[in-house]
Amino acid sequence: MFRHLMLCATFCTATLVQIVASPASAKDAYIPIIVPLTGFLSLEGTAQRNGAVQALENTPEGVSATYEVLDTATSPEQAVTALHRALDRGEPVAAAASIFGTQMLAMLPVAKRAGLPLVTVSGTAKLTELNNPYIFRFFPGDAVVKVAHANYAVRELGAKRPALLYQTTAYGQSGRVHLARRLREMGTPLVYEEALAPSVKDMLPALTKLKAAAPDVILLHLHSAPTALAIRQARASGLDLPVVAGSAMHQPSTAKLLEAAHLKGVCAESASSPVSESVAKIAAFTREFRERFATDPDAFAMAQYDGINMVLAALADGASSAQEVRNWLAGHTFEGLAMTYKSDGKGNMAHDAVIICYDGETLVPTVVKRYHNVDGVL
Amino acid sequence: MTHPGQRGFLLTAVFLFAPPAIAFAAGDYERRVMTLAGIYALAVLGYQLVFGRIGALSLAQGCFFGLGAYTTGLLGIHFGWTFPASFLAAAIVPALLAFVVALPVLRLGSHYFALATLGISQVVLLVAVNWTDVTGGANGLYGIPEVSILDRSFSSSEAMLVLVWGTLAVAVTGVSAMLRGRASHRLSVLRDAPEAAASIGIDAAAHRLALFLASAALGGVAGALQAHSVGVVSPAVAEFHVMVTILAMTVVGGRGHPAGAILGAVLLVHLPEWFRFLEANYLIAHGAALLLAVILLPQGLAGLFQRWLGEKPHFKPHTDVSSDRNIPAVRRASDGLEINNVEKRFAGIVALDKVSLRISAGEIVGLIGPNGSGKTTVVNVISGLVAPDRGRLVLDKQEIGAMGPHLRARLGLGRSFQSPATTPTLTILESVLAATSSNHDNATAQRLAESCLAFVDLSGWGVEFSGTLPPAKARDLDLARLLAAEPSVVMLDEPAAGLTPTERARLANRLKNLAEAGLGILVIDHSMDFLLPLADRVICLASGVIVSEGRPEEVARHPAAIAAYFGEGRR
Repeated sequence: MFRHLMLCATFCTATLVQIVASPASAKDAYIPIIVPLTGFLSLEGTAQRNGAVQALENTPEGVSATYEVLDTATSPEQAVTALHRALDRGEPVAAAASIFGTQMLAMLPVAKRAGLPLVTVSGTAKLTELNNPYIFRFFPGDAVVKVAHANYAVRELGAKRPALLYQTTAYGQSGRVHLARRLREMGTPLVYEEALAPSVKDMLPALTKLKAAAPDVILLHLHSAPTALAIRQARASGLDLPVVAGSAMHQPSTAKLLEAAHLKGVCAESASSPVSESVAKIAAFTREFRERFATDPDAFAMAQYDGINMVLAALADGASSAQEVRNWLAGHTFEGLAMTYKSDGKGNMAHDAVIICYDGETLVPTVVKRYHNVDGVL
Repeated sequence: MTHPGQRGFLLTAVFLFAPPAIAFAAGDYERRVMTLAGIYALAVLGYQLVFGRIGALSLAQGCFFGLGAYTTGLLGIHFGWTFPASFLAAAIVPALLAFVVALPVLRLGSHYFALATLGISQVVLLVAVNWTDVTGGANGLYGIPEVSILDRSFSSSEAMLVLVWGTLAVAVTGVSAMLRGRASHRLSVLRDAPEAAASIGIDAAAHRLALFLASAALGGVAGALQAHSVGVVSPAVAEFHVMVTILAMTVVGGRGHPAGAILGAVLLVHLPEWFRFLEANYLIAHGAALLLAVILLPQGLAGLFQRWLGEKPHFKPHTDVSSDRNIPAVRRASDGLEINNVEKRFAGIVALDKVSLRISAGEIVGLIGPNGSGKTTVVNVISGLVAPDRGRLVLDKQEIGAMGPHLRARLGLGRSFQSPATTPTLTILESVLAATSSNHDNATAQRLAESCLAFVDLSGWGVEFSGTLPPAKARDLDLARLLAAEPSVVMLDEPAAGLTPTERARLANRLKNLAEAGLGILVIDHSMDFLLPLADRVICLASGVIVSEGRPEEVARHPAAIAAYFGEGRR
């Protein structure tokens, strides 16, 4: 009997908490944060969450907003359920949405039916190729950052025989297509490429095959932890070639997985690098972020911060419904911390990229190259 | 008053109706979550067939789920198939894959079976990720058409809820009909005592194959509904976490009752939703709740409800049968069993060398010999568990050498094992019913089972569970089960081991009665006090060769038998 009472108590408590934990009062703008907090994209998702929260806790005068954080974990199904939950629990005017492209592909039709703008930092190219008017991407897509990625490797580092390791996820496959295309256009096709599952921990076989192809630069397009593993294992196996990594490498949390010496000769593309910038407003953002979350902000956090701030700007400008916010996002230009944002008509809001490099002595990178308005939208 | 069997039915009916009814009255989100729960309940219902019914740890159910999702997605997007057609294909394609892999995989032992099915899942996942032109790679397939049947759209959350739970109701009804009564008991024997199952005529391979295919089809159906519900199919649907989710739902809900599939799915789909307020820490609460459920509910939630409802076994013995001591019906094989020149070697070691013997109807033959002389190998060869290298086996003029063990049992050949193989989850009566022929109707089977129990003095134990029997009673149950298969020849491997003198005498008396009724009996036993007075004829085996054969007193005096087995003191 005691066992049964305990079980009943557990389930009743859980149900009660659900009923009590109502998200929003009627007059506040409700902006749910629907991002992966668990699973292999938890680092990126947490950065998204923190960026969005920082914006929502510092709303412009006259704008009042509430939020609820919903974990999407790693499957599209969980993302769609989380979105349905947000739609059921209030009348959101916009949502900060997952960095995970596959989840976004599942959420987009639901958002379209509900008329809800999704503000994301996902780089998956396909998201803005589906003519869905409710997607707004505040991180440069592959069409921007992969051009910068390839350009830097070939034009700045003089690479002639690039090799690529990429992820088997939507993020990895999308980036691989854009990188390979750009490299072919520049007359320096890949001499070796291999896809790695996020669960792969031993990269030595792939690195050995890569080495056998005699490349002169290693391009990485991997998630955070795999990027650190690839660099660590490459250096440990004596592969000292220059590395130009994807945006995961700019994240301070990724750099902390490595020692400074491992990072000598390592560069990465990104939208920005808040910890590298000395501009006053970015430094202030970084300081507040550290105080609030006890961690360094990265480009995903800052892009999500900018995206939600643009939503708040729309509300401040009089938009009061999801449709009005969508129209405002689609029709206005916004000066964010990382860059100037403007829709290209498909929801691509970010058009700049940077290249950061590590010097092998500290874990803080330096911005070595800025690529403005790569796709000519601004 | 409600019949106990009806309580289980009512329990399932309540859990089939109540969750969607509650969700229907709630909001869009709750309908969506309950739809997901219904989808997973379908997959779990299928998984119960393999994991719960035959005890095989398959790790392919997630793969079948994903395959169903991709099938309906691909056919709907690229070929414009209507939902009913693509839905049907989503059941067939995983079943076809299951059929292709079943032959090599279903023969494997438990852990090898688990690894093999895991391997199949990994191959499917790799194809989903890397065959980008067809599957869309890691992005997957998007724009899966909404469900439409006869021009009626099922795009609303209410319609999807009804469709999914309606499909679940049909599946539960089908599975319940397929596995009711003795069919269910046979599967329990197959799971808990696979060798004994073959000896009472249960075709293990056919049962395993049928359940594996049904399991795959249900997994595919669930995957197809999930694809239409989410609108996207990505490799995530075939990843290992789907399999883990299905396994956890099966364990928490209960692996042997359809209500368990529903309860497990409803609870585990809702748990993360209940704990969302904990943000990233919800996994800790989720894990703790799961652990609590597993520790407190070893039989799953369905077992808990069954106990609350006081559900008893479906069959109840007739009270007037306990006095019936008639000898159960046996088949009289006029020509008995005969084996000629049987040879068997194990890696060069001669186990049997030109062994020939005959057991006539109504005859008790004792088989003796020192340890390692080949006695059990003779029984294994005759019953079909071990294939001979050479030799001829004939039962009642019919060549049985090429037949499987279950076919030999159906022809009238029964055997017992040194240790009685009981089925703890079945009652005594159910254990015996499992051995009755499927050609008998329930009433006939019940009468036969009860007469077998009465013959071994187990009438009063019918509703007790087999696992609760003391060792001597377990041997009685073993004999009753053997007799319920209506054999013409039985082979008993050390049936008197561990019995008291009184119990031995009772057993000897029973065997004599059976022989008088026409049953041919081969008995292996080391107890000469038991065997020599019982047997009409004795065969002595040494190093795989028959060294002596004849009346018990003749064999006991035969020099070769004395040298090989009895020892000089016997002379």
